[in-house]
Amino acid sequence: MKRPRSIFTLTAVASLVLSMASCSVQPCYEETDPSMNVFLLTSGTGETAEADSLRVIGISPTDTIEFVDSRKSASFSVTLDPSADQSVFFITLNGISDTAVIRYTREPHLISPECGYTFISIITGLMTTHNIIDTLMIENNSVNLNGEKNLHLFY
Amino acid sequence: MAKRICICFISLFLLLGSRAVSQDTVTVPLHLRAGFDLSGPVLLLVGNDLTSYGILASADINSALTVNAGLRYSTFHSTKYNFDFTSRGMSIVAGTDYNFIKANVSAGKHYAGIGLRYGLSFYSEEAPVIRYNNEWGAGESSLPLSRHVGHFLELTPGVRTELFPGVTIGWNLYMRLLISAGAGKDLKPVWMPGYGAGTRGMSTGAEYYVSFSIPYRKIKVVIKPKQVDTEGEDEEEDGSTETGTLTTGSGRRL
Repeated sequence: MKRPRSIFTLTAVASLVLSMASCSVQPCYEETDPSMNVFLLTSGTGETAEADSLRVIGISPTDTIEFVDSRKSASFSVTLDPSADQSVFFITLNGISDTAVIRYTREPHLISPECGYTFISIITGLMTTHNIIDTLMIENNSVNLNGEKNLHLFY
Repeated sequence: MAKRICICFISLFLLLGSRAVSQDTVTVPLHLRAGFDLSGPVLLLVGNDLTSYGILASADINSALTVNAGLRYSTFHSTKYNFDFTSRGMSIVAGTDYNFIKANVSAGKHYAGIGLRYGLSFYSEEAPVIRYNNEWGAGESSLPLSRHVGHFLELTPGVRTELFPGVTIGWNLYMRLLISAGAGKDLKPVWMPGYGAGTRGMSTGAEYYVSFSIPYRKIKVVIKPKQVDTEGEDEEEDGSTETGTLTTGSGRRL
């Protein structure tokens, strides 16, 4: 009779510990903003091209947001506007500017119970001026938290 | 004459044999049980986001195996700095429990074993408010109400004992393994009713059941006597040697 009682007590203690552990609140340590990753390539050869200077500005209806202002860059990352179905960027490469319009659909995505939701975007279309940009191509249309390459920018 | 003596001895031997078996037979009552989970209301009292009410019915099919089925209604509401989330639904589990305690010890009153159950969760989820804040500014969105069916496996090691005749109380740990939340990879529920956090492949916790039981049948379980060899060659690895020739009550269930 002693054995069932001791098993009973041990299990009760283990149950309490497990219950408490499953109720604990965890902070959010994960990346929460999906970025669209753009890689610069040389038009014609397709080799990686490092721009001497690169400036990327997002144009919202009410404001402008500077995303990138750097020297010697072969890639850049920008977030897409989660409140709209398109984002407009003013891209200045080696002092010459182009405007790019990215169209997309937005889907909510649960990161974790601690971090909550974010919006992943599926790129549906691109438009660009061609002052310095030759072609803007979709490599992977899913703008998510995986850090994958999304666009190839040939210039 | 010799033939008659021989038959007489054989008959006596058989009679002795049957008496030995009858001494190692225990009568075990098989029960029908219906109970409810206390952990849900208790967690609600301490201000948990989860409201969960569970009932479980079980029937012993022999001294070791029990079939069971449970029903649970859960609602979950969470408000965090960047989202509100609500899910509610009904889950059903069905499976079997195996009692490791031998029939002569458990006597139909005690249980220490493990159960394996399959669970289905019929639930709805929605996020009425999703707040975001990035370089483009702050804003709000929402996830409309959607209905899904998820399923999972549940391993439940636990114990149960008879508090007094007709009433049993028991603790179950549970380890639930998610097969599918049924909502796709992007909209896994923060909380899947009957399972737990839908973003995790495994969910653990405990349930505390109070059950009412009625015996519906009695079975005889034969406890097979175990012959223990006393020769030195059977000495165990740790050096201890079992003594005695015949032990009762330590046999296996038949």
